[in-house]
Amino acid sequence: MTDMPQPERVVTYVNTGEVVNRPAPLLTAGPLAWIRRNLFSSVFDTALTFLFAITVIGAIYGLVNWSIQQANWFVVTLNLRQFMLGRYEVDPEWRVHLAAMLVVFGTGIALAAFSRVRWRTFAALAIVAAVLVAVPVVIEAALPLPPLYVTAGNMPIASGSVTQEAQSRLAFTARAGEEFRIAVAAQASGDEALAVQSGFMDKATNNLRNAAESRLLAQARLAELDRLLASDLLTANQRVALTGERDRLTIPDPVVERYAVNQAAVTVRVLRGTTLEVLAEATLSADSGPLSVTLPDEGWYVLEKTIAGDAPATAILRVDGMYPLLQRSFSRADAGGGSAGRVNQYIRMTDNFLTEAPLPKIDGQDVPFAVIIDNQYRGVRPFADYLRVHLAPFLKLITPALWQALILLALGVVAGRLADRFFSPADRPRRTSVRVATWLIIVLPIVAFFLAYGVGNVLPVTDTRNWGGLLLTMMLTVVGIIGSFPLGVLLALGRRSDLPVVRYLSILYIETVRGVPLVTVLFMAQLLVPFLNPALADIDAVFRAMVGITLFSAAYLAENVRGGLQAIPPGQVEAARALGLAGWQITLFITLPQALRAVIPALVGQCISLFKDTSLVTIVGLIDLTGISNAVVAQTEFIGLRREAYVFITVLYFVFSYAMSYVSRRLEMSGSGAVRRA
Amino acid sequence: MTGTSAARFHDEPIITCRKVNKWFGDFHVLKDISVDVFPQEVVVIIGPSGSGKSTFIRCINRLEEHQEGEIIVDGIELGHNVRDIAAIRREIGMVFQQFNLFPHLTVLENISLAQRWVRHRPHDEADQRAMQLLERVGIPEQAGKYPGQLSGGQQQRVAIARALAMDPKIMLFDEPTSALDPEMIKEVLDVMKTLALSGMTMLVVTHEMGFAREVADRVLFFDMGRIVEAGTPEHFFEDPQHERTKLFLSQIL
Repeated sequence: MTDMPQPERVVTYVNTGEVVNRPAPLLTAGPLAWIRRNLFSSVFDTALTFLFAITVIGAIYGLVNWSIQQANWFVVTLNLRQFMLGRYEVDPEWRVHLAAMLVVFGTGIALAAFSRVRWRTFAALAIVAAVLVAVPVVIEAALPLPPLYVTAGNMPIASGSVTQEAQSRLAFTARAGEEFRIAVAAQASGDEALAVQSGFMDKATNNLRNAAESRLLAQARLAELDRLLASDLLTANQRVALTGERDRLTIPDPVVERYAVNQAAVTVRVLRGTTLEVLAEATLSADSGPLSVTLPDEGWYVLEKTIAGDAPATAILRVDGMYPLLQRSFSRADAGGGSAGRVNQYIRMTDNFLTEAPLPKIDGQDVPFAVIIDNQYRGVRPFADYLRVHLAPFLKLITPALWQALILLALGVVAGRLADRFFSPADRPRRTSVRVATWLIIVLPIVAFFLAYGVGNVLPVTDTRNWGGLLLTMMLTVVGIIGSFPLGVLLALGRRSDLPVVRYLSILYIETVRGVPLVTVLFMAQLLVPFLNPALADIDAVFRAMVGITLFSAAYLAENVRGGLQAIPPGQVEAARALGLAGWQITLFITLPQALRAVIPALVGQCISLFKDTSLVTIVGLIDLTGISNAVVAQTEFIGLRREAYVFITVLYFVFSYAMSYVSRRLEMSGSGAVRRA
Repeated sequence: MTGTSAARFHDEPIITCRKVNKWFGDFHVLKDISVDVFPQEVVVIIGPSGSGKSTFIRCINRLEEHQEGEIIVDGIELGHNVRDIAAIRREIGMVFQQFNLFPHLTVLENISLAQRWVRHRPHDEADQRAMQLLERVGIPEQAGKYPGQLSGGQQQRVAIARALAMDPKIMLFDEPTSALDPEMIKEVLDVMKTLALSGMTMLVVTHEMGFAREVADRVLFFDMGRIVEAGTPEHFFEDPQHERTKLFLSQIL
């Protein structure tokens, strides 16, 4: 023990030297330290980090893969109006746009009033929006549209139990000056190439592709069976089963040979849709060059394709410049208010080019056109086709609205700032904007509602049965919030009242409503209320749903507000009483403002859940955002695309919910929240 | 102050308490409290915690209700009449241990709110009066801030200004320096001294013996709900009569 060095005993270390701050060691500050502290602080932590990473990457990889290679986003781009407005009439549509613009502008003023606006944020948003505008332009310049494969032939093409004849005539639309090119699809000369071909395909080509694919699958299965039977790992039973399967398995003839694909020459003609005058004509074979035509006008054209000669043969033709069309028909009112009859619209899916010209007729018959259901995209879609066919048109659709919103938001902020500069006193630099914003928060939703609904003779009243999509969801949410707010506050105050009757009535109401699911309330509003009083049956279903949602939401809001009221220290009320303030003054100026501010997160949480809960109105037959996606995928053109529609509305729900929670966080952090919390 | 105090006792008392009794449930907090306070007098109440001193001054502006006896403030008897209570509260300002400023209002709004709604002063006049008082308590530059941005001493001075803005005849102080850091106690006591010098009638519950000695006209000593001893500061601190008082003083001095 004696050879151990004795520690020097320092009693006091008096440091009179200059104080120098040294930088922290590498692993106590900076990103490395953050990663170590937060992601890999222990073995358990590390395991969790990896588990989480694998889960997230797996989920995102699957979703991204599906949306690029498989998903058919036409259901979104071609139904955007329905998703936004439902069946809202076309004529008063501008009123909804105006209402939305006013709301965005008002949001700008509110931002100026209640939060610190960083122009950096706006610059970043503008850059993002500019990129969103530029991206489709770049994509369209750099990437070609995928071709449409059509088949010419004089023999039926069978795949499984489905038999298709090749069409000899196909009508399509084009803009003036577009180039139309057609050639024999050279790569479709063998089954292997045919089976993995991707692009738009008409039904006959699709059958050829399917036949080739199933032949290859059968071949692969045969090889597999042979390999298994050759090995000695099988039980007797398995061997019997597999031998049976092998005996039953027949390999179809090679598709390309059976249908004589691309063996005979094809005569193609391009006709003008109106006059049926021949614009170009050629006989194409596997080794001849393409036929190119520059289409002179906007409108319909007809492609004729027939096999030259009588021998049974088919040919797959690669067509550039012809794309699937969506037909919409509806009746439209003419200028005088009468009906102008049915209108048919044909929308080219790849770029939303719309024409209302009538279909070309040959021998008094409508020529079949490249209709969307019969000309789907087949095969694994390459990324380039995803960008060109789905992303670019979608961005082109939404960027104008984004820009409008961004500009109006910025204008709102500028307006708020200018108003402050000219009208606010120096010691309260935001008084004017705060006052204006406070008024707008109350007035704007009401104005927006009446713009969309209509007022007497000034703005014709719209039929609420046509409200749908985001419009209906927003209406239900906003009316629900605005209606339930005063009611909820009154109920909260009532529950804390000294008067037993008021208190117990409030408790009765709150507890009853909280004990009932929203669906029940909505059903009551739709089905039961008319029995209570027949006069109530005349009220629009939308309004009855609004009342139901409001009454329901008020009970929950009351409990939130009560929580805030209870959190206020009793000293606040004592101080106010000592100053001689009356009871209602204390509530209005002292307790309520503090209580509401304290429960902003809970209130916004409730707004968000109300926003999402409105989707329940689908059950009582209203077509809100959720309802409209069910309606959209019920159209024949979009059957089976439920996943795409739901992914889209999920994103929409998320964007709005996140915006609400973002605003609430800014509100809490801003001067009206953080500083005042003593 | 002692020079003028003789003159004050010729006036009518502004607060009269006769045999005031109060219970919290079964607990007898105040027992037969009888005391007169004269205009311009500074009465300091001291005593151990739980002795009922805070409860007593809270009874004077009816933040607590007494069950027996009478309290007459400025000629009005405190009863169940709401108008009387309101009238009395208008004449009495109160300063709390925890300041109790309104955290959601600026300093200026804290001071002007009650002026506008209770005294019915126009907005501008209320703000002017508020600024005047902020200058008097020495923090006019804090008018636009929120209470949360101020130090404890500054908050308590704002609370004093808020009470004074109502032009009260009487000020009640309920341990105004107990929640403060030692460095900030002095700035609050200085404001209170100036107020006393200006002739305000004050009832002060405090543990600041120096303040009591220097400013008080009369000291009341509370123990177990009773006034055990009362007298001038000299008398009280130099020559206490009661055993409880002696014990208390020996422990804190």
